[in-house]
Amino acid sequence: MPDDVNTETEEDFDDEEIDLSALNDDDLRAQMMDDLYDGLADEIAEGTNLFLSRGWGPDKVLGEVLVEGMRIVGIDFRDGILFVPEVLLSANSMKAGMAILRPLLAETGAEPIGTVVIGTVKGDIHDIGKNLVAMMMEGAGFEVFDLGINTDVDEYLEALEKHKPDILGLSALLTTTMPYMKVVIDTLSERGIRDDYIVLVGGAPLNEEFGEAIGADAYCRDAAIAASMATELITERRKAA
Amino acid sequence: MTTEPSAETESSGYEPRVSPPNSESVELKQLRRRRGGGRKGRQEARATSSAKSVAFLERTLPPVDMLDEAGYAQIEANAETILEEVGVAFQDFPSALELWKDAGADIRGDVVHFPKGMCRKIIQDNAPRSYVQHARNSERNVTIGNNTTVFAPNYGSPFAMDLDNGRRYATLEDFRNIVKLTYSLPQLHHSGGTVCEPVDIPVNKRHLDMVYSHIKYSDKGYMGSVTAPERAADSVEMSRIAFGGDLQDRTVMTSLINASSPLRWDATMLGAATVYAEANQASIMSPFILAGAMSPVTVAALAAQALAEALSGMAYYQLVRPGAPVIFGTFASSMSMATGAPTFGTPEAGQAIHVMAGLARRLGVPFRSGGQFTASKVPDAQAAYESASTLLPTVNAGVNFVLHAAGWLEGGLSIGYEKLIMDADQLGMMEVYARGIDMSENGQAMDAFRTNPAGEHFLGNAHTLKNFESAFYRSEIADNNSFEQWEEDGRLDAAQRANVRWKKLLADYEPPPLDSAIDEELLDFVGRRKSEMPDAAY
Repeated sequence: MPDDVNTETEEDFDDEEIDLSALNDDDLRAQMMDDLYDGLADEIAEGTNLFLSRGWGPDKVLGEVLVEGMRIVGIDFRDGILFVPEVLLSANSMKAGMAILRPLLAETGAEPIGTVVIGTVKGDIHDIGKNLVAMMMEGAGFEVFDLGINTDVDEYLEALEKHKPDILGLSALLTTTMPYMKVVIDTLSERGIRDDYIVLVGGAPLNEEFGEAIGADAYCRDAAIAASMATELITERRKAA
Repeated sequence: MTTEPSAETESSGYEPRVSPPNSESVELKQLRRRRGGGRKGRQEARATSSAKSVAFLERTLPPVDMLDEAGYAQIEANAETILEEVGVAFQDFPSALELWKDAGADIRGDVVHFPKGMCRKIIQDNAPRSYVQHARNSERNVTIGNNTTVFAPNYGSPFAMDLDNGRRYATLEDFRNIVKLTYSLPQLHHSGGTVCEPVDIPVNKRHLDMVYSHIKYSDKGYMGSVTAPERAADSVEMSRIAFGGDLQDRTVMTSLINASSPLRWDATMLGAATVYAEANQASIMSPFILAGAMSPVTVAALAAQALAEALSGMAYYQLVRPGAPVIFGTFASSMSMATGAPTFGTPEAGQAIHVMAGLARRLGVPFRSGGQFTASKVPDAQAAYESASTLLPTVNAGVNFVLHAAGWLEGGLSIGYEKLIMDADQLGMMEVYARGIDMSENGQAMDAFRTNPAGEHFLGNAHTLKNFESAFYRSEIADNNSFEQWEEDGRLDAAQRANVRWKKLLADYEPPPLDSAIDEELLDFVGRRKSEMPDAAY
């Protein structure tokens, strides 16, 4: 049985011959939402370019097609219809569209969805969960700079200086490494730059209380929450500004 | 998984499943995502894939033996000695004694003494190694024997309990509800029999409502009444109506005949067994032993006695009708020596299941035992632990027909709605477990290693993408979410989640089709039989 699940899907919906350029705007948008859902990066890149060639602004393509498409992916992931590997594919497709849009968005001066610096803290080499968070955030339209594993406070500071992100994400899997998150946050405070960033923390041994105690803005219990929390906090922050 | 009994079912082999290298290997380089119909397509695909079910389990997992050849041989020799020296009572049933006398047994009063090897030979010369029990829906026919396992629900409880209403005497409404739920649960392959006792109906008429309910509200196989020969005859007659015509070449019921252990068959059970054997219907000839009270306390003694009882019962069945399908049954547990209460989920009972299953395999007949037993009153940790401690031996021993596979509480006194749902979830896991290890090329997944660098997660690997959907059993009861998510969802424990689920299943229940002429004929029969006798409390 495990062998033929996808085969079935492929046979049932084998409509690869769709010519995206022949679709009107409404149909192309609908098809791209489907393609995003199905995790088709090449098609998303093609569709994004098509819309741009038809005179759509990059912010419109982003908001009305990609972000909206990923919102639906998020709903079905939450409801147990989509599985983790599928959401990763969708996020990857979103990333393909974003790669085209990002420089254009910068040119037009449109406000980007947000920038994230993320890394697993010093002493910890576990990165699968952190990678999932990074992918979900990219899927939500963020530009993500992933510092990898075993990241010490100087590396974080350097990356913050360089990328000027909205969000700093700290990850730890071990009870022995999670205290280092506090070291990072305390260092930011000492330098007077703590409030320049939204600090999100996550990892299996954490909880809400720990997040508060070390002075993070929020604890994110899973990758989907991390992405939605990031969006929410940035919106709040921009409103307040 | 095929739903048809395959050639593999007929062979008794337990070969590990090794598929030859084949065309299914993932062509990773060429693998390209294709359009899947977006959200609508995926939602439809997911909705249909969750409805997949098998008619019964075909095991590739080899059964676990707890005894070596010398151990089995010793217990078999002890059983033959018991049969010869102590004998087995066939109480108040002269026709059985006649049959035994003609077959060459030594009759003393109503106790039959069997020459060594006699029962074994009668069984091995006549009884089938496996048989098909036909269901109203032929896709739900079950093959019982060799490497198959069939799960059937709880049997015989006078009480029903659920979280909302607590424990009360079971009614016909409870009976119907359990039949409907069993029909809706793909992990249960068989509708069972007296899933609970409908105490609100007069004793002499219950069987009519019970058999009718199985036929009307389900299309899975069922069991007939055994509480009197004429009630067995009514069960046969109703089945004739339901299945249309003669049943001589079709077995449509598997019924439960309990020994009145130690070493005794009573007239009620023998009467029902005789009716079913004559009609070519199957029976489970089942010793019912609480060790300590109904047998000596040790597993080896219990095994020898249960084998002796089962041999005498199955051989009797073959004397009534050579070739009639019959199952070697064993219900074995122990008794608390402190209080006299029956205990469940104990290690000794688990050992007994293994030993008896091995003895049945050596004899060459289908075997019934096990289930998900507990003495707990509610679906709590004790219920779960004890049930699991019975179910794993049941599956590992290779039991063919598993009565009480779901719903059992309180030593069988009560059927639990939530317990039924929780148990069914475990049965689903056992389906995967019993299937054994996939050693095909896809199962070995070497391509996945070749395309994934060290330290890189496999979630995006082509092999994962090809297999993830059905790679792991997905429990419908277990909560695997984060603490925060669980809290947001209302902090429900397993029983509370099961409570939500059975209510949804009942609300969504739709009866299987039943020809209206057959339905009418059945109702006529039930009405007529009820009118022919006054209500009786026995």
